[in-house]
Amino acid sequence: MTAANNGQQRQLAWVFDLNRCIGCQTCSVACKVLWTQDEGTENMWWCSVNTQPGRGTPRDYEQMGGGYDANGKLVLGRLPTAEEVGAAWNFNFQDVYAAGKGQAEFLHPSGSGPAWGMNWDEDQGAGTYPNAYFFYLPRICNHCTRPSCVEACPNHAMYKRAEDGLVLRDEDRCRGAQDCMRACPYRKIYFNTTRGVSQHCIGCFPRIEKGVAPACARQCSGRAVFVGFMDDADSAVHKFVRQWGVAVPLHPEWNTEPNVFYIPPLSPPRIRPDGSIDESERRIPMSYLESLFGPGVRPALQTLENEIGKRRRGQPSEVMNTLIAYEWKEMFGPFTRDPAEITWK
Amino acid sequence: MEEATRSIVRDYERSRATSPHPASEERYRRIWRWDKVVWGTHTVDCYPGNCPMRVYVRDGKIVREEQAGNFPVIERGVPDMNPLGCQKGVCWSQTIDAPDRLLYPLRRAGERGEGRWQRVSWDDALTAIADSMLDAIQENGPESIIELLGAEGVPWNMVGLGRLFRMVGALVTDVNAEINDFSPGLYLTFGKFNLCSSLDDAFHSELILIFQANPVYTVMASYHYMVEARYNGTEVVIFAPDCSPSTQLVDYHLPVKTGTDAAWALSMCKVIIDEGIYNATFVKEQTDLPFLARTDTGHFLRESDLKAGGSDEQFYVFDARSKKVVEAPRASLALGDVDPALSGRYDVTLANGTRASVTPVFELLREHLKAYDPESAAKICGVHPDQIRRLARKVATKRTGVWAGGTSLKYFHGDLMVRSLTLLLGLTGNWGRKGTGIGCWSIGMFDGLMLLAQKEQPGPDATREFLAMRDGMIAALRAEDPTRTEEMCRIEMVCRMAGLGGMIPPAFFWYRHCGYRDNWNRKEWGDPTMARPFDDYMREAMEKGWWTDVALPQQDVPPRVLIQAGGNTLRRVRGGQNMLLTHLWPQLNTIVTMDFRMSTTALQSDFVLPVANHYEAPRFHIPSPHMLTLIYSDRATPPAGEAKTEWEIARLLAAKLSERAKARGFSAYQSKRGMAYDLSDLTRRFTLGGTLITEEDASEEMLRDTVICGTIPEGTDLQAMREQGYLRFTDWGISPFAINQASDLKSDETHAHSRWHVEKKLPYPTLTRRAQFYIDHDWFLEAGEALPVHKDNPKMGGDHPFVLTSGHNRWSVHSMNTTNPLLLRTHRGQPHAVINTDDARAHGIADGDEVRVWNDMGEFFVPAKVAPNVMPGQIIVYNGWEPYMFRNWRGPMDIEPGLVKWLHLAGGYGHLRYWALQWQPTPVDRAVRVNIARSDARPA
Repeated sequence: MTAANNGQQRQLAWVFDLNRCIGCQTCSVACKVLWTQDEGTENMWWCSVNTQPGRGTPRDYEQMGGGYDANGKLVLGRLPTAEEVGAAWNFNFQDVYAAGKGQAEFLHPSGSGPAWGMNWDEDQGAGTYPNAYFFYLPRICNHCTRPSCVEACPNHAMYKRAEDGLVLRDEDRCRGAQDCMRACPYRKIYFNTTRGVSQHCIGCFPRIEKGVAPACARQCSGRAVFVGFMDDADSAVHKFVRQWGVAVPLHPEWNTEPNVFYIPPLSPPRIRPDGSIDESERRIPMSYLESLFGPGVRPALQTLENEIGKRRRGQPSEVMNTLIAYEWKEMFGPFTRDPAEITWK
Repeated sequence: MEEATRSIVRDYERSRATSPHPASEERYRRIWRWDKVVWGTHTVDCYPGNCPMRVYVRDGKIVREEQAGNFPVIERGVPDMNPLGCQKGVCWSQTIDAPDRLLYPLRRAGERGEGRWQRVSWDDALTAIADSMLDAIQENGPESIIELLGAEGVPWNMVGLGRLFRMVGALVTDVNAEINDFSPGLYLTFGKFNLCSSLDDAFHSELILIFQANPVYTVMASYHYMVEARYNGTEVVIFAPDCSPSTQLVDYHLPVKTGTDAAWALSMCKVIIDEGIYNATFVKEQTDLPFLARTDTGHFLRESDLKAGGSDEQFYVFDARSKKVVEAPRASLALGDVDPALSGRYDVTLANGTRASVTPVFELLREHLKAYDPESAAKICGVHPDQIRRLARKVATKRTGVWAGGTSLKYFHGDLMVRSLTLLLGLTGNWGRKGTGIGCWSIGMFDGLMLLAQKEQPGPDATREFLAMRDGMIAALRAEDPTRTEEMCRIEMVCRMAGLGGMIPPAFFWYRHCGYRDNWNRKEWGDPTMARPFDDYMREAMEKGWWTDVALPQQDVPPRVLIQAGGNTLRRVRGGQNMLLTHLWPQLNTIVTMDFRMSTTALQSDFVLPVANHYEAPRFHIPSPHMLTLIYSDRATPPAGEAKTEWEIARLLAAKLSERAKARGFSAYQSKRGMAYDLSDLTRRFTLGGTLITEEDASEEMLRDTVICGTIPEGTDLQAMREQGYLRFTDWGISPFAINQASDLKSDETHAHSRWHVEKKLPYPTLTRRAQFYIDHDWFLEAGEALPVHKDNPKMGGDHPFVLTSGHNRWSVHSMNTTNPLLLRTHRGQPHAVINTDDARAHGIADGDEVRVWNDMGEFFVPAKVAPNVMPGQIIVYNGWEPYMFRNWRGPMDIEPGLVKWLHLAGGYGHLRYWALQWQPTPVDRAVRVNIARSDARPA
């Protein structure tokens, strides 16, 4: 593949495999250590992982509105409160270590107890024992094909790059109107009160430009993140989404056409009250998955089951081979470069 | 760079030139830049760890790290190991200047634990510590100085402080008991606990059974092999009481009642035997199941039964071909023409002329398993009988691997669970092939490290001399008994040397000096099948000399100086503060903690010495057969503040001990054990004649010695490690732990342990020279545990309605990451207890409420996390939180009684004897009984 910029719009896409995601937050932490270390970014998690079912981050963001309605009209929702986003708590380290208070002081977040954080309802899930269920949902900016944030920005600070479709913000034009935050139904935009600008996942474009996969993908412990150009028919992301239909977007009904897709979770079968196994029903209700990923999730799961079945019977499966990614670098399209090899001039 | 990548980079260079937003974009491009990159890893006891990282430095400051991600494919058709690393590892850089970082030597200025400190110089601190050590030596002998071998900071702890303390005669406790990571079940069966196949070998399994494990939390970096195997058609089944995260990512989750795994495993064994689908060839050749046992005594038939003066270690089978009782071969597993019977009763004439009836152990097993029909087993463990049958048949026909989690090492009867699972694999021929087996953890291959802990002279010639001496000892041991394999000779050698100043099993320290004797004797907490008080077993073990030379410190040697380097004993030891602060602390004159951060143990110490953090000193990770790589971590920046490396601290302490000893005219002395020590020349001896001053010097020595031992390529030196970061081992070397893997190490294949036993018929290092399922030690017969059996959890902590379980947490390796502010923000920022939704409702507990958890040992307070995913009646508090993160600094570890199983004191029986990391009593903590209430509901 060539030619990022010969006039055509190219689109980077991510596929997160939820059967591989173990909720470890390595992607979130890698992103945080790389991009949001400055004053004003403390509470930002451009990449975050939440337990589903759950209230997500910011808390209950799915009810805040945004995106486009059925008629294609931009919807501006509400801003999350500081509590819903969750603060970057500080801790009473010195009081515990060296204030002469002994065991009367124990380490905890300072001030009144926090009420929410980026991963507050970790591993709580839903259901009833022994059929309690949950899975992990990593989220970054969806770098949408129809980015409502771009349309909403009154200062024309936001743009979608032709060379890779990443949705970025010119921070010199941003005036902190926060309309992008109200327009993004995924609430994946944060406000930097120190600088007075909004900020969000930049798709690791400085890495991308050097041929290095984004931190959330390259640093994922679970090898759960595929990256590539959607317009490259040989890319894994294209095959999963367009060819095999095994990867589906989050909340397609919000009409922004996300470019982050998910291989849906294959949960174990349910257990009947007598302890026997009901092979006909998986633990995660299909209705719940459909509420997140739309109707495409059912055939996606069916295809995954069929393809695993082939492997069980000793038959080949290109779908499974691609998901296995025998060589890790196969997951990243052309972005296979080892960053440590880069020397800066 | 690949061509497609090169082309993309070129395109981007062009488009960047015409970007309409150059300034805004450039700001981010600058954030990602660096001016230096070095190799790094975290040489903590994160197992298997060994994640190669790159550490990025900008303007002299470590800004971040990233997984190297350049592992090659080892075996074609098996996924590579990239990228290796977890959320702790990718933000270790944040701990360099974190609020808990120690920068200066501190001396206690108030009461212990009060949090009042005086900053002192290194010289003042080391002078006071050396003086206290000398006082202890003069008053009570060197055994009154104890280094708790923490799991962190290896290998420098071992080669630095360990080397110094060995020269002084101080005691160093066995880390495997300290961290409760010994598997008595595997040891009883195989004569070694430390079997492990490489991580990628799981991809070869057709069926994977996970039990007592939550790998989604515990082995993040390699969990992907489970998923990849699943995508490849492998069926992955997990047994767990709770709907843990790991239960959500498998084909089947079978909920099992806490601590009952032996029941389903034994039931599957029964199904397999009843249906005749066991692997008879494997059973007859690899296991002791065909061996004859006497029906009157329950003991194996031995040569000593048949002949006056006969051996206690010669066993017999009934040859179905010749219809005779014949000797079981000891030099090989190969049976030749013999076809051992697995059933029947036979008469033999004993040495005294009487007759005795004998039968194969397999026959005893068949009888024993009658109690475990699937319906009965289901009542015990809760796994549906249909599932037991279905899975049993699968295990019998599929290439099956068992993932035995660390939790199996921490149940009172975990040994029985592991023995039962291993029996299932033994009946079905499921070890010694790729994709099969059961394992634990191991070290090995980095021979230079072990050599440096012992060497007295520098250089390759001294090493070759040492190796020649060792070869001589091995040859002598083989001459003593020509049927010994190389593996057995190595074990024999380390067993005989165990009393000469290596590690000591700490059970005796805890029993004699830390107050555990009362807990271990407490009948209502203990196991009802323990026929006599614990003291009786201890007395018998001592009288029979089963632990001679390693049962230290002696009863009359009070502990006086405690050194904690790279560990956090008040967090880790079961019963923790309730036991140690009450019983041990008052006896101690001086407590020293060396660490890079402020731990609870540091807070309760007299001296706190700051140690270099990772990325601040040259270090190696302890290698493991799981990874088969030697990984180097370079010095990216100098240690922060006045922190020093372990090697330097040990060297300075050695010098100070010499100086202060000389000042008081005291240098030569004997330990109570009668070993001679001399402090006058410590620095010269410690530095091998002044040749090893720095870590770099010591690293070169270790690498050169490792090359000589043949496990890494010729020419590997520090410069090579600095450039390439890591390398794959090419051979096993001289360590017993490495040869315990018993398989050829191949450059282009996954490693599956025990292939030599199965393919080359090399016998196992057990009493019977077989995988041993029948332990006819008198104590095991008395306890009804000669064969694996299910036993209920004892009521540890008293008769309370809830069981408190734990497990390795997600957010920290041990306690050291629990206070990383960044990681604290990835959860609720505090410890929590997970409580089932219905239980919480019944107790009026809402999510986030603080609850009081208590039992006979004490109480602690913790916020509740309410979820449907724990079994009703179960409470989970994951391990690893710093005690000072709980109110009153008391956490779940403090109400665990720290019981050990009395049978693990057994000795005088073939392989049941101590060597480093191996057979010894280790405390347990799972399924402690507790009660809960909302903390404001506490009675006045």
